[in-house]
Amino acid sequence: MNILGVPNYPQMSSVKEKLLQHQNRIRTIRDFFYSHSIVEVITPSLLISPTTDVYIDSIEVSVNHALLKSSNFYLHTSPELEMKRLLAKGSGDIFQICQVFRDNEHGSINSNEFTMLEFYRLGIDMHQLIEEIQELLIALGKNDIVKKISYAQAFFDYAEIDILNSNFEDLKNILKSHGLSADYDWIEDMQMVLFVHLIEPKIKTFPVCFIYDFPKQQAALAKIDGLVAHRFEMYINGTEIANGYQEIETANEYRDRFETELDKRKSLSKSIGSIDEVFLADLKDGLPPCSGVAIGIERLFNSLSL
Amino acid sequence: MNYSTSQFKNGLKLMLDGNPCSIVNNEIVKPGKGQAFNRVKFKDLITGKTLEKTFKSGESLEAADVMELEMQYLYSDGEKWHFMDPESYEQFDLGRESMGNALNYLVEQDKCIVTLWNNNPISVSPPNHVTLEVIDTDPGLKGDTAGTGGKPATLNTGVVVQVPLFVAIGDKVKVDTRTNEYTGRA
Repeated sequence: MNILGVPNYPQMSSVKEKLLQHQNRIRTIRDFFYSHSIVEVITPSLLISPTTDVYIDSIEVSVNHALLKSSNFYLHTSPELEMKRLLAKGSGDIFQICQVFRDNEHGSINSNEFTMLEFYRLGIDMHQLIEEIQELLIALGKNDIVKKISYAQAFFDYAEIDILNSNFEDLKNILKSHGLSADYDWIEDMQMVLFVHLIEPKIKTFPVCFIYDFPKQQAALAKIDGLVAHRFEMYINGTEIANGYQEIETANEYRDRFETELDKRKSLSKSIGSIDEVFLADLKDGLPPCSGVAIGIERLFNSLSL
Repeated sequence: MNYSTSQFKNGLKLMLDGNPCSIVNNEIVKPGKGQAFNRVKFKDLITGKTLEKTFKSGESLEAADVMELEMQYLYSDGEKWHFMDPESYEQFDLGRESMGNALNYLVEQDKCIVTLWNNNPISVSPPNHVTLEVIDTDPGLKGDTAGTGGKPATLNTGVVVQVPLFVAIGDKVKVDTRTNEYTGRA
């Protein structure tokens, strides 16, 4: 309190500065999409089904107790399926900026709530989508040189490992040779620990690095082509910022991928929800060929302030 | 006793590949589509080497019974360096290979930190600042007090430190043991 009994807010000007900076960046993103005739959407955050992803946990919320109509919902962990329902109904290119929520994610660069930019572009492949993300980075004033390398090439170059042709036993032996635990149930988990241990520290030197064509075991919802899936991630100084796919299109493919993930959740004794049948029904005629990406806004903006 | 990855923090002493190690850096990495990992940088307390390991969340490591005690450096017989815990009067000795850079800075009666593993000494850290005597240096230029130039000086432990030109044989000087830099006259 100052002498007049008015509270002092010494940081007021810097708070406002930061808010305005954030606003300007969000505006830049919106302008970028508007100028490409990509439509902004808002989809529900309260969903009937939790995510099926084995390593992402939805936050469950209970509502309408006082109305004696209590029911449980799940906060969306990403707007992906709701946006894909719009795509299936003929929305065309769309983007969304929203808060998403994930349980059991908390740390220096993880949070139970964060801001996601997600967008889908019809008729373009993974590489064209990566080019558009580069354009967006430039619009945001991030003009760094961009490194683009396939998952397999990164393992060849930085670890001398033929990751796509290494089987379960090969990977166990590689882990042991690095003095790491080989107590993993799935090949994709061993690929991931090796990526975190051997590759991420090497790509920290790149201001922007796109890793593309993940092993098919890590396809998530991306199209599989031989040993790889057309999935990519963007790393900024070694921190994961974005994850994108050339999207699978049919309801059957989605059902298969969801069931695979649910089976893994079961074997880890994690909570299991029902598969989102409304989503699959909306996809009865399939998704138009498209590519989409989710970008973590806080991590991206933090990299801009550096 | 074991520590799980959720208890990892800088300075925690753990057993790794049979050696006691100290956590230097602990980074939690949660791939968007993967499980959480801890990417940890360790310092091996015996070899002094740095090593990196990555653990999945929930893995645990055995605690290392490591203590850091302030002790007094007594003397060296040329093969062993002898130290005493001033509280218990218990004496410990270390070989040259475990002395590290403490050899350059310790004179008898100095205080230092001795690291014990299972009650055996494994390393010695000199204080950050020590006062040593100049036993050899070229005569300085008279009147140079600005300390702009410099010259090498051999101190009573044998270590050579860059000192200002005005420093003369017999002077006591302060040295930062982390950088081996002269910080002033004592």
